[in-house]
Amino acid sequence: MLSLISATDKAPVMIKWAILKDCTVKVNGSTNINKFSCSIPDYLRSDTLTCSRTGNDVPVALTGRLALPVISFDCGNNMMTNDLRKTLKAKEFPSLNIYFISLDKYPELTNTQESITGIVNIELAGVSKKIEINYRISMDEQKIIHLVGTQTIRFSDFALVPPRKLGGMIRADDKLDVVFRVNFKRISDS
Amino acid sequence: MKKIFLSGLTAGIILFIVSYGGLFIAIQYFPSFFVDYNNPLFNSNGSRDTLFYSHAFIFSFALSWFWERFKSLFKGHFILRGLEFGLVYGIIALVPVMWITFSSLDITVTMVLSWFVYGLCQAAIAGIVFSRMNP
Repeated sequence: MLSLISATDKAPVMIKWAILKDCTVKVNGSTNINKFSCSIPDYLRSDTLTCSRTGNDVPVALTGRLALPVISFDCGNNMMTNDLRKTLKAKEFPSLNIYFISLDKYPELTNTQESITGIVNIELAGVSKKIEINYRISMDEQKIIHLVGTQTIRFSDFALVPPRKLGGMIRADDKLDVVFRVNFKRISDS
Repeated sequence: MKKIFLSGLTAGIILFIVSYGGLFIAIQYFPSFFVDYNNPLFNSNGSRDTLFYSHAFIFSFALSWFWERFKSLFKGHFILRGLEFGLVYGIIALVPVMWITFSSLDITVTMVLSWFVYGLCQAAIAGIVFSRMNP
């Protein structure tokens, strides 16, 4: 559940938000022979987030998470897909969790995209790492809020070894560009 | 025994340079050919790199022993003897191994054919070295 206490000092308003099911996560990476793009096309859980801000304090605190099934990653090629799942230890750690922690400011929420930053905790393969995320956020006419988070992470940040084949002659870059698109909707005020 | 060892070692060094050098160059110039190696069938954590790179020597010493046992069957110029030796190895060892490999693993025809040609070339080069050093 995402709830918000408004930015004003005197009249805090709590707004609750529900994550909609049409969210996606994409990771883009490369090896010394090709590039790959793998995504979780549909986020099927009905999670909620809580966003709270007291007075003019910044940053805005967020709580809630996206729990993404690693097994759902699809690279458009069975071999690549299976390889990524193996690299991310999908059998041992089936979920990629993104815990929302904060935003650097409360967004304007207009139909113009606004760039803000925030902190999330990414839990992957049993390792958690706090990471700053660049967000673009906007709200459409249907009052649906679109949040696009992007950041570059490294396999090594999560104690993962970038895949290497044939004695290291084929090797994946340690860097992965992560893009997640989360859509949510205001569900109540308090 | 000394001849088996020395010719095996020499062939191993030559194959090491030719095989891995060739593989390195092929990956640089024909990267798309190797995309299918991004497959969990292939070891990806580097734990077997030593085994991978010692293959040229394992292969050469095994073939050197084989050559010593059957070299009398190969007649003619040393290059011809080496090529025939490589072809024999290809037919009796590579074809059946590639056959079972393709039938049981999720790999492509191109991949299996490339391994066959790669092994055939290795065996032919080793054969030429053996017929020269241990006629």
